[in-house]
Amino acid sequence: MIETQHLSKLYSRGLYALRDLTISVAKGEFVFLTGPSGAGKSTFLRMLLLQERPSEGEIFVNGHNLATLSRSDIQEYRRGIGFIFQDFKLIPSRTVLENVSFVPEVLGVPAAQQKRRAFQVLKWVGLQHRMNALPNDLSGGEQQRVAIARALASEPVLLLADEPTGNLDPDLSLEIMNLLREVNAGGTTVLVATHDRELIRLVGRRTVTLDAGKVVEVA
Amino acid sequence: MRAIDYALREGWASLWRSRGSSAFAILAIALAMIVLGTLLLVTWNIERILVQWASAAEFSVYLRDDASSEQRGAIEMTIDSSGVVERREFISKADAIGRFRREFAELASLTDSFEGNPFPASIEVRIRPAAEQDGRTAALVRQVSGLAGVADVRYDREWLGRLASGLAAVRGAGLVLAIVMAMAAALTVASVVRLGMHARRQELDIMQLVGSPIAFIRGPFVAEGVLQGGLGAVTALAFLWLGQGLISALWGTELSVLFDGGSIAFLPARLSAALVTGGMAVGGVGGFAASRHAI
Repeated sequence: MIETQHLSKLYSRGLYALRDLTISVAKGEFVFLTGPSGAGKSTFLRMLLLQERPSEGEIFVNGHNLATLSRSDIQEYRRGIGFIFQDFKLIPSRTVLENVSFVPEVLGVPAAQQKRRAFQVLKWVGLQHRMNALPNDLSGGEQQRVAIARALASEPVLLLADEPTGNLDPDLSLEIMNLLREVNAGGTTVLVATHDRELIRLVGRRTVTLDAGKVVEVA
Repeated sequence: MRAIDYALREGWASLWRSRGSSAFAILAIALAMIVLGTLLLVTWNIERILVQWASAAEFSVYLRDDASSEQRGAIEMTIDSSGVVERREFISKADAIGRFRREFAELASLTDSFEGNPFPASIEVRIRPAAEQDGRTAALVRQVSGLAGVADVRYDREWLGRLASGLAAVRGAGLVLAIVMAMAAALTVASVVRLGMHARRQELDIMQLVGSPIAFIRGPFVAEGVLQGGLGAVTALAFLWLGQGLISALWGTELSVLFDGGSIAFLPARLSAALVTGGMAVGGVGGFAASRHAI
């Protein structure tokens, strides 16, 4: 699903965010990306979302060479990827249902299907009863579940999560991880960037450890 | 189709959300369209008068006081044989002074102080409309001007032509002014749309990340510009209509002389539609320019 070849990201100050990174993630796999702050985890995820371009090396995702994609190809490629962030990135003026149905709406899905799909994923994350609430009325765990529902609304083949439990307590963190495991069980490839070693130990999946932009351990 | 529907819905919602700043953009477009609309209204009405006057074109051949009856006969024969004349009428010196006294009654007393009759005899020639366009009238005027016994020939086409040229110059200058104002309006629209864009930054980021088609991302901003432009142009039309009504109410009687008993007409549907389309295009260009910053 993900294949990188000698991937490097050099910033203008001569600082490497990633250095000669060669890793692969198989289709249907659940992988943790860990390491201390500044190790390059978020940079790597931003590259997978094409928010940043590598200085050197190549990235292949689901058969796409990301270096060769045009602007419209990038949009098409992103439709196959779900994303979750530490700060949820929900739209505060829209209800839970609207936040989730926003994705199929802006992908051009017919109106009736938008709501149906949004309701399905909200039910799946157990938040159908809060669908008319605004994000600010929800707890942190609930907000992250809405973010997961939104990520799943486009039925992605790859789910990227950047510190998805960074703002949550240990119990809620485990709950979110269990949800991601269920997503993975449905066939979606999941890549989670986290510095929470305890959580990784509890979930127990393949873990790639980065430090100063380099792979230092694969376990 | 869904992209257009989405763009219009979101464009309208954004316009409503930022209705204070949108009002500035609408006003800027309205001002540009008022300039263009006034220009259209004036030139359209002057053209109506010109068409009216052109259809009643005639020329007058003024005879020298010492012109003989043979010379007058030769002039009339030249006119009759030209094939462009609908009718002609000889106005003697006595008829001319009599007409002056009738038509300018308040000045009639002046003629009592004249030594003799200063008004020349003339032949008034009404021309067939077709001959106006193919240049035969101009040729006849040149021919008659050179005949013996002719003091002067007044051909109203000459000043109609000058008026038409003047009108073209006014139209050109007005168009340049309207284009400059339209560009300023487009810039205002672009700035206002960009302001609204900041309010939707988070939505735009999410749209990009989920792979929303570019038409869905940029479309609402173009639609917002088009809506602002359309509203600006409709506002301009309303002001023009009020202005035309006011002018008709204040100077209707004086203007009816020019319009042969009629009055100033408002822009016809096709010109009004063109004005609205123009406003929408100006707004659309502003919105399109702003939408480049959405990605």
